[in-house]
Parts: sequence; C-alpha cells; structure tokens
Amino acid sequence: MPLQLFAMFPADLRTAIEHLPASLLETLEEIRIREERPLEIGYGGRFAFVRPDGTTTDDPRAAYRPGRETCRTLLERVTNHSLYAVEEELRRGFVTVAGGHRIGLAGRTVLEGGAVRHLRDIASFNVRIARARTGCAAELLPHLLDPQARTVRHALIVSAPQQGKTTMLRDLARAISAGQWYHPAASGWGGRKVGIVDERSEIAACERGVPTFDLGPRSDVLDACPKAEGLMMLVRSMSPEVVVVDEIGRPEDAYALTEALHAGVRVLATAHAVDLADVFARPVLAQLAQEGMFSAYVLLSRSQGRVMHRIVSAEEAADLRTRQAGRRTWAAPRDAPDAAPTPQARSPNAAEADGPVEAAGARLSIKPRPLPVIRSPSTPAKEGT
Amino acid sequence: MLKLIGAALVLFAGTMIGFVQAARFAERPRQIRHLLHALQRMETEIGYGQTPLPEALARIAQVLPPPLSGLFAETAASLQSASGGTVRDSWEKAFRSGWSATAMRPAERDAMLRLGGTLGGSGREDQLKHLRLAMHQLQAEEAAAREDQQRYEKLCRSLGVLAAALVVILMM
Repeated sequence: MPLQLFAMFPADLRTAIEHLPASLLETLEEIRIREERPLEIGYGGRFAFVRPDGTTTDDPRAAYRPGRETCRTLLERVTNHSLYAVEEELRRGFVTVAGGHRIGLAGRTVLEGGAVRHLRDIASFNVRIARARTGCAAELLPHLLDPQARTVRHALIVSAPQQGKTTMLRDLARAISAGQWYHPAASGWGGRKVGIVDERSEIAACERGVPTFDLGPRSDVLDACPKAEGLMMLVRSMSPEVVVVDEIGRPEDAYALTEALHAGVRVLATAHAVDLADVFARPVLAQLAQEGMFSAYVLLSRSQGRVMHRIVSAEEAADLRTRQAGRRTWAAPRDAPDAAPTPQARSPNAAEADGPVEAAGARLSIKPRPLPVIRSPSTPAKEGT
Repeated sequence: MLKLIGAALVLFAGTMIGFVQAARFAERPRQIRHLLHALQRMETEIGYGQTPLPEALARIAQVLPPPLSGLFAETAASLQSASGGTVRDSWEKAFRSGWSATAMRPAERDAMLRLGGTLGGSGREDQLKHLRLAMHQLQAEEAAAREDQQRYEKLCRSLGVLAAALVVILMM
C-alpha cells in the first residue's frame, strides 16, 4: 500500500482514501480527483466512487467532492511546492512523485505561439499507482535471450495503456542487471550493465538520483532525460550493454535507437499499440521495424489481473507486414538472425536433463547468420561510365 | 559610599541601554543585506538549479546567520513535514512568529510576506520577477536603514550616557 503517496494528500482526501477496505487498496490502480466533482477510484479493472468515510458507492451523488482548497493543496504537494521546477512536466501534462507514481493533470492550457506553454487552473488529477512486481519477467525473459551473444535480444514491448508495460520493463531491467535470466542455460552468464533512460521517472522512480525501485546491481539511470538525448549520453558515457527506454514514438527516438544499435548495445523498449498492425501503422515504429531494429515483439495483455504475453519474432512480424503490404522489404534483424523456437515452455525436467550450455545452444538451434550482400558504393559509377 | 555605587550602576545601565539601541540601528541594515543575499541565492536556486522550494529554503538557512536562518529553516521544516500546509501558510507563520527576534521593521516584513504568498506558485519567469520585486523593496529599505544608522547610532550611544549622567546629577 503506497502510504508515502497517501501522506501527500490533504487531510480530508487522505481520510477518504485510507479508510478504503484493505482488499481494495491492494488492487488500487487509479485515484481520480476532480475539483467539486465526485472522487473516483479504479481498482482491479473496475471503478467506484468514494464517500467521505471511505466506503465505495456506485452513486456519484453520494460521493465525496474535493473542494477548491483541497485541490490547490494537493497540487502544491505533488509539485513539492515548486511549480517552477516542474514546468516541463506540466507542459506534458503529468508529474511523477516519489515512489514512481504518475499523476496526470488537466486544467486550462496557456498557449504561446500555438504551443502549450503552461497548465493553469488545474482541476483534474489522475493518480496512477506504480507497483514493482519483482519476478513478473520470469516467464518472458527466457524467450528474449540471445545465447550466441549471451545477452538479451532487441525487443519491443507493445500493449495498450494500463496493461503493465512499464512494470514488465522495470523487472526485465532488474533481472538482466542482476543476471537472473530464469533459464538454466544462462545461469553462468552473470548480469549485464544496464542503462536506463527514464524520461518520466516511472521506471526507476529516482529520488535525488537514486532509484527507489530495485533495478539490480548493475543499472545506471538517467532520470527525467529526453529519450533521444539520453540514449546517446548513456552510450557515450556509461558503456551500457543493454539500454532500456520507455514509450518510444518520436522521430528523434528512432534515430537515437538506431545509433545505439550500431554502437553494439542491446535495446529494450516499449511503445503504445494494441497489436502489431498498430505498430506498423505508427510511422516511427514502422520505420524501425522495417530496418530490422527489433528481433522480437512482445505483446502484453491483461485479463483477470494477470498479465499475459505473446512473443512475435521479427520474421513473423515481417510476414504479417508482407501480408498487409503485399511485399517484403525488410532487412534482417541485426542481433539474432533466427528466433528461438516457438516460445512454448518445455518441461523443466527436460531442461535439467539437457545440462550445460552446449546442449541448450543446440536446443535453441541458432542458424548461422546469412551474410548481407556487399555492394561497393563505387560500382554504379563504374557501370555508368 | 552606597550613593556612589548606585550612581555608577545607573551610569552603567544608561550607557548599556544606549549601546543596545545603537546596536539595533547598526544591525538593521546588516540583516536586510543578509536577506538580500538570501533572496539572491533563492533566485539562483529557482532560476538555474530549479531546486524544489523546501530544499532551497533549507540550503539558504544553512548559510545565513542565526536570527534569519531560523525563519527559513522553520518554513522548510514545515513544508517537509508530512502534515505540511501550503507555502503561504508556513511562510507566514514562520515570519510572523520569528520576526521579533530580528532588528528589522514591519516594512521589511510586509515585503517578505508578500513574496511568501507567491513563492512556488507559478512558473520560473514569474517567480524571478516576484523575487526581484521583493529585492527592490528591500534595497529601498536598506538605504533608509543606513541613513537612520548614520543619524541615530552615535546619537543613541551618547544619549544613553548623557541621560544616565543627568539622572545621577539629579539624584546627587
């Protein structure tokens, strides 16, 4: 239960939230505070309104309505009494508070030259509660391994909002940096140096530069840094073996990712999309996919509180794309030429019987990488003459 | 004999009162100067470092001499506490209760209270403007305080001695 977060609320709001039933607090996902309007909570995929004494109701008329003073105090607290220090965040519409909880804000925008310069009269708060689920990557990580390079493959984690992308990414980062590969063949690999660009301070929830979530012993976090710039900075300064970024989607992100890839760094990224077709519909992601940036796509979905994942290899994704577009124009992925055999879990007994790395390597059946056709740049010129 | 001791005590007390008054006149411009330095520091913390307000106030408190450092430290502590209120309330409480320990006048206090009402509540540019406004007001007060110091500091000192001497003469 995020007590630290509740301590931030003004007294009357805190009373209402803290008196919620314990079972409900366990599954609490969102607290929506709107000025002069009913207090709403989202939990376990459902929503309800809250009375002043902390009981839930479906009737918005009976619910507690936070007043103007409450909202102003809340805004001051979540910005740590320093609106001037979160101007950039306000422009993007959210602030992240201690503990990695993201608080979305809505109010009246102040424009300058057509661009949003500031947010004022803030009257809606959406508190999204962040939880670390240590070990949630246990099922996914073994399928993302690249046994040849003894590290992880370039992967893009895709899902709709609120399906657990960031939580998964956080645990992947932790497992990789701790060398906890969840795979018998990888037990001797050790951890990798992980660089995390945490633009929204959600992955690591840094406090004065120190992550408050467990990210393993070999992680470096660049907090509140724009992804594109941060990627380059990390590659230059911290020599990471794996970089982790959240929610890519802008053109400059793609450029930075490509640079990182050519610097020999593995990339784990997430993006908002419902399925692969959506990925290809987003120009930046489509371009990245076309260049063969990612060798695996992970689709997350959540049902009944459990996060399910499906892994699509680059080849399958390419086929899908080909079927959509009618022709195949994809480059081969650069790290693992062939995907591991379909990610059906083998029986643990078989894995133990197989023993050390050689056997596992054979089992994962890596095909030799096809050599790309090398064209000399001067050839067309010669042909021309 | 007793009379002489009494006269000496009166003379001493009168002189001391004069000196204390003079010290207040000398102290006022110095404290205003310290406040100005504090605001200048805050300008840097807000404009360049974008330090959160509680932390900025705590840092300022560390570099200020005692009666003033208390004001900032108290505000910072109140903001950092779990039940902390708004900046305006914490600031006002600290400055109203702690002001009597300083040598400054209500004019400076009002300028500071006005500043407290706006601190942390707006964007960077706006904050810097408010800080500069407060600094201008304090500078004007400082000039007036220096004038007062020149005019009254020595006067107070000699007035104390002379008044004590008058009392002694009358008693004799």
